[in-house]
Amino acid sequence: MNKKRQLIFRCAAILLVIALAVVMFVIGRGHTIYFDNKACEYGGKSYDAYYKVTVVKDKEKVAKLAEDERGMADLMGQKLTVTLEITDKKGEEPHSHKVSMPIPYSMDGVVINVPLLMAGQSADAYMSEFVPIATPEEDEEEEVVIDEFEMTDDV
Amino acid sequence: MNNKKKFDFRQASVPVMFIIICAICIPLSGLSPKMLINEIVTRMGRNSFLILSLLIPIMAGMGLNFGMTLGAMAAEIALILVCDWQIVSVPGMILAAIISVPISVLLGIFCGNILNRAKGREMITSYIMSFFVNGIYQLIVLYLMGKVIPIKHSSIKLPRGYGIRNTVSLLSMRQKLDNMLAINIAGVKIPVLTFIIIAIMCLIIVWFRKTKLGQDMRAVGQDMEVARDAGIEVEKTRIISIVISTVLAGLGMIIYLQNMGNIATYTAHSQIGMFCIAALLVGGASVDKASIGNVFLGVVLFHTMFIVAPRAGAYITGDSMIGEYFRVFVSYAVITVALIMYETNKRKAKSAASMELAAAQDSEDSKKSAD
Repeated sequence: MNKKRQLIFRCAAILLVIALAVVMFVIGRGHTIYFDNKACEYGGKSYDAYYKVTVVKDKEKVAKLAEDERGMADLMGQKLTVTLEITDKKGEEPHSHKVSMPIPYSMDGVVINVPLLMAGQSADAYMSEFVPIATPEEDEEEEVVIDEFEMTDDV
Repeated sequence: MNNKKKFDFRQASVPVMFIIICAICIPLSGLSPKMLINEIVTRMGRNSFLILSLLIPIMAGMGLNFGMTLGAMAAEIALILVCDWQIVSVPGMILAAIISVPISVLLGIFCGNILNRAKGREMITSYIMSFFVNGIYQLIVLYLMGKVIPIKHSSIKLPRGYGIRNTVSLLSMRQKLDNMLAINIAGVKIPVLTFIIIAIMCLIIVWFRKTKLGQDMRAVGQDMEVARDAGIEVEKTRIISIVISTVLAGLGMIIYLQNMGNIATYTAHSQIGMFCIAALLVGGASVDKASIGNVFLGVVLFHTMFIVAPRAGAYITGDSMIGEYFRVFVSYAVITVALIMYETNKRKAKSAASMELAAAQDSEDSKKSAD
């Protein structure tokens, strides 16, 4: 009886740890969000870029975009909530919009086109996956250093 | 009867020597007190947990666990995977801990079993075993990752398509634990949460010593034969002590690497074992006796020396490399001296015991001849 109880407790502990790992997988997923303030065409209609867009996340300004600029912010989790402070034309007062959207789990980097988002288009229109292009430095062959028998400063 | 513990001058000689070295080097280094304290506090948060992992095998009489690098390797594998899965910040660290624990347990069981076959030679065996497991680690990280174990991101993978780069960035986790609840006192950043975790670990060690298993370990550490006669499963107890040490080393390595903000994939773990052991010994511990106090004194003294030695060397000789050589020399020297002292004491005790036995036999013989 005692052994059976012990086994039950052990199984429960393992299940608990697995559940915790799953929760960490979901809540800890990191994304890099790129905000594009660029003019674009969609569905035969063209959308102009704004004069200035300021992206505020968690009360912190994470990006300030002029026309045709891109800014980025890091996100943890699957839901992005930001406030966009948009200035349509030079000299005009900015207007704020709080936007919230789900971010696909599979995407590391997500590009969001601000004019399309503000035009009320679907997620397929304003959201796309960011595909990084390897830099020449990244492509350079790296010599693997395996043995190091000295104590460096980084201890 | 005098119950007061006798002050061991020989044991205290190493910390005293380091206090003198630090006292000479600190003014020569020209570092401001604020900067020096900041560095020491950072390094205390970074290293203390790792060094605490060495205490339990010492309690079980297995000496300095050079096999702690096995736990460090488990943590590195877990962090590489978590990095590739893009799990960031504290959740990433928790997930890495969850992944590293089963790997550490397996490696600990393996290590413990081998050490049971090499009783009395645990330190050299664990040291050599860390090289052996390092080979397996390299096989996994250098060849299997990317080929067999899927690795998606080119920032982690070598350009040839498999194997991991020399350095893996942990920018998404960098000092996330340290910055949580951190406070600033007179320009010195105190990583409160990290210190809370370390304090909890200290309490667990104090509590563990009083448990049945802890008492068994102490009994095994004092005399294996007596412990066996008392019904303690000596081999199992020794394996458990190594497993606990390996797991704690893995968790400590995660705390260490989150502070650093990057993984030196092929070298971080090999350095870790050496400087943790050196720090513990500098704190006044020996191969068969170590306390929590030794851990903290060791971290402070050893790392103060690490911080000030190059600058002091540059001031004295005009070449900072002299200080660099000095600290490396001192680190290895302190381990060597501790091992020599341990071996000398062991031999002394052995010869004293045989002299006692011979004297007892002589007196018995003389009694018989008188009869």
